[in-house]
Amino acid sequence: MVFFEWVRFLAGGFLLLFGLGIFAIEMIGVYRFHYVLNRMHAAAMGDTLGIGFSLVGLMIMSGFNFTSLKLLFVVIFLWFSSPSSSHLIARLEVTTDEEKEKHYRLVKLEELEQEISGRETDGCPDAGKEA
Amino acid sequence: MGTGTEALAGAYHGLFVFALIFLAVMVVLCLIRAIVGPRIADRIVAINMMSTMVLVIIAILALMLEEGYLADICLIYAMISFLAVVVLTKVYMGVYLEKKEKEEEEKKNGIL
Repeated sequence: MVFFEWVRFLAGGFLLLFGLGIFAIEMIGVYRFHYVLNRMHAAAMGDTLGIGFSLVGLMIMSGFNFTSLKLLFVVIFLWFSSPSSSHLIARLEVTTDEEKEKHYRLVKLEELEQEISGRETDGCPDAGKEA
Repeated sequence: MGTGTEALAGAYHGLFVFALIFLAVMVVLCLIRAIVGPRIADRIVAINMMSTMVLVIIAILALMLEEGYLADICLIYAMISFLAVVVLTKVYMGVYLEKKEKEEEEKKNGIL
C-alpha cells in the first residue's frame, strides 16, 4: 500500500510543480511585455492553467473528500470569473487611454477587408480577375 | 513499514515548503510589478495575479496543516478578489468619466 501512496505523491507533486512552472512563465511574460493589453495575455495564463494544474495536483494528494470538492469549486469559479475580470480591465484601459495611437492601431472592418483584398490581388493577379 | 510512511511524510513536507517559498517569491515579484506599473490597469492586473498565487498558498496550507476549513477560506478569497477587481474598475472608470465631463463643461462655458 505504501507503493501506491508514493505513486499518488509523485503524480500530485508533478502536477503541482507544473503549475508552479506556469506561474514562473506568467511572471516572465508580465515583465517582458511593455503594454497592459499585452501583459493581460500573460497574466490570464496563471488564472486558468496555473491554478488549474496546481489545485488538481493538490486534489490528487488530498484524496476523495470534501476538501478536494472545495478546491474543484475554486477552479471552476476562477474559470468563470477570470475572463469577465479581464474584460473589465481591458475596457477600463481602452476608456482611460488618452494616447491610443502610441500604444495600438485602431482598425475598422471595411479598411481591413480592403487591405486583405489588396494584398490578395498583389500576390497573384489572376485570382482577382476570376472572382 | 514505519520508516516508509515517515519518509513519505518528509517528502510531502519538503514539497510543500518548496512550493510555499517559490510562491512567496512570486508574490513579491508581483508586488514590485504593481508598484512599478505605469498605468492603473497594470496595477489591477498585478493585484489579480497576486490573489491567484495567494489562493494556491492557502490551498497548500489546507493540506499541509490538515485543516479542511482552509479550503472554505480559499473559496471565499476567490470571490472577494473577483469582487475587488469589479469594484476597482467601476470606480476608476466612473472617476475618469466624471473628470472628463467636467472638463468639457468648463470648455463650453469658456467659449460662451
